[in-house]
Amino acid sequence: MTDIGNSPAFKPGPNAKLGDIVRHAMPWSSKMKLPGATPFEFLAAIFLVLLVLVALFVDFIPGLVSPKLPYGDFSQLPEWSLNGLFGTDDIGRSIFSRVLYGARTSMMIVAVSTTIALVSGLLLGMLAGYYRGIFERAVDLFANALAAMPSTLVVLAFVAVTGPSVVTIIVVLGIFDIGTYARVAKAGVISQSNRDYVLAARAMGATDSRVLLKEILPNLIPALTAVMPTLMAGLIITEGSLSFLGYGIPAPAPSWGGMIASSTDLLSRFPVLIVGPILAIVLTVYAFNTIGDYLAQRLNNRERES
Amino acid sequence: MLTNAMPYIRAISTRLITGILVFLLVTFSATALSSLAPGSAAQLILGDYATPEQIAALNTQYGYDLPVWQRYLSWLGDLLRGDLGVTLFSQQPILGVVLERAAVTFEIAFLAMAVSLIGIPVAMYTASHPNKLTDKVMRSISTVLLAVPTFVIVVLFSYLFAMVLRWFPATGWAKLTENPVANLWYVALPVLCLSLHQTAYLYRVARNEFVTTLQEDYIAVARARGLPLSYILFNHALRPAMPQILTVMGLSLTYMLAGSFVVESYFAVPGIGWTILSAVKSHDIPLVQAILSLTVVIFVIVFMLVDLGYALIDPRVKVS
Repeated sequence: MTDIGNSPAFKPGPNAKLGDIVRHAMPWSSKMKLPGATPFEFLAAIFLVLLVLVALFVDFIPGLVSPKLPYGDFSQLPEWSLNGLFGTDDIGRSIFSRVLYGARTSMMIVAVSTTIALVSGLLLGMLAGYYRGIFERAVDLFANALAAMPSTLVVLAFVAVTGPSVVTIIVVLGIFDIGTYARVAKAGVISQSNRDYVLAARAMGATDSRVLLKEILPNLIPALTAVMPTLMAGLIITEGSLSFLGYGIPAPAPSWGGMIASSTDLLSRFPVLIVGPILAIVLTVYAFNTIGDYLAQRLNNRERES
Repeated sequence: MLTNAMPYIRAISTRLITGILVFLLVTFSATALSSLAPGSAAQLILGDYATPEQIAALNTQYGYDLPVWQRYLSWLGDLLRGDLGVTLFSQQPILGVVLERAAVTFEIAFLAMAVSLIGIPVAMYTASHPNKLTDKVMRSISTVLLAVPTFVIVVLFSYLFAMVLRWFPATGWAKLTENPVANLWYVALPVLCLSLHQTAYLYRVARNEFVTTLQEDYIAVARARGLPLSYILFNHALRPAMPQILTVMGLSLTYMLAGSFVVESYFAVPGIGWTILSAVKSHDIPLVQAILSLTVVIFVIVFMLVDLGYALIDPRVKVS
């Protein structure tokens, strides 16, 4: 394998593919393990890594102003500076700063909700797939009940009773994804539990918990990873819609949906101010969807080969 | 004859039982939800300035002082009698309000679904010319569209079509039964916004299905016999793709009900999404509960129809 990035003669000529250009501009890209990824999938992966880094370290970006304090004039148009990149909102806060801090809000909700959903879904799905019987029926019923309502509606019902809060949204959205993870885990356990390695482990006297955790669980990870990005994209969209409607993240905290909602009031005079938050949410959902498709496809190929 | 129908009857009845169990589970949770209210449900509804007597009176009237299971049983009884009480503020019968608003949402959802069917012929064309320019362009467009949340589409479309081009009204409403033309005029933009996502989704699924189907031997045989491509597509390729298309359409209805909150509130369409948002704002818990229950019924019926559709399209599908 010759490393394209190290050859100084490479010039992106008229026939160069986007992939060649990406590999040339980022020589380390060939070291990243994304076999068979298209350039778009590769860029999506980089975008997601950046997004997570921004969410974690946004406080340490030098020169970035606070997202909650006024920075310039009201509804200032975009200019070529760090804080003024997307302009300022209706009370003079830097939209760029709010978009970056909004990434933290979104990523935090995605991370916590997914953890809740994954841990509970995995537990329920594994038990249902392993022991079957009445337990499987109960888990199926629970998953069916979750599938029979839009999550937005249930969050709204909770908000009607308890008022808007980040905790309510995170917990309800997390509970909603339990159904899908449980289904995937259950199907995985059922298909794995008759495999030879499981029978061998049992024959050697392994306990149920050992078989489930040490033998079967590692083999569930690919299928669960493949559905995860798509569900995460769904979480971002639902949180965005709720914040857009005014029932999501309570006001001063930056959220992309809320920012889009407040920009719509200024849309007739300053349409350009809505670009930043829309770009953020669309690119993020696009990146998650793209990575989800990539993983799902890889998984399918792998299963076909084996 | 009857022996042929037996598996279907059994399949329908098991689905029905599951559906009823799901309905009971969800509606019970909805009833229990009001117990989560800080203080009591009546306190929440009446606000901070209500006297203890008023709160106690409302708690008694709506049964919020009773244990959850008792409240749930009386709610079920009310449902069977077809009388869910009145809305808290306008004092209209809840069942009537919900059904009237649901009709509006259904109109929009069905129109949007009809619009999204455009995705199927487009998918047929691009799938029969895979990796040509149109295929690549349409695939990119659909991928991008799927990444744009409905509320962003709503904002962009209302800006483009109602503010810049002024083709459609941004808000306003006319009843279908009173003025059908004006009604269609008002629903045009909401329908467009709801259908965009769906068209992209349907297109993508249908395209992938058609591409796989068109590689089958029987398609090659049909082509070798000189049958025209359009005939092959509609008569040989469509049917194997139907189960997938049907699933997407079933899911699309659930998606549209969720999307209707955003679309209806933005364009002020008096449908079910708009109603629940105003009910949430005014803490009209009985109304929220009724809408939640109706949604569950609709979803369960739709999923059941999709399942039965599989069996009708593909006789190999076991109906057990």
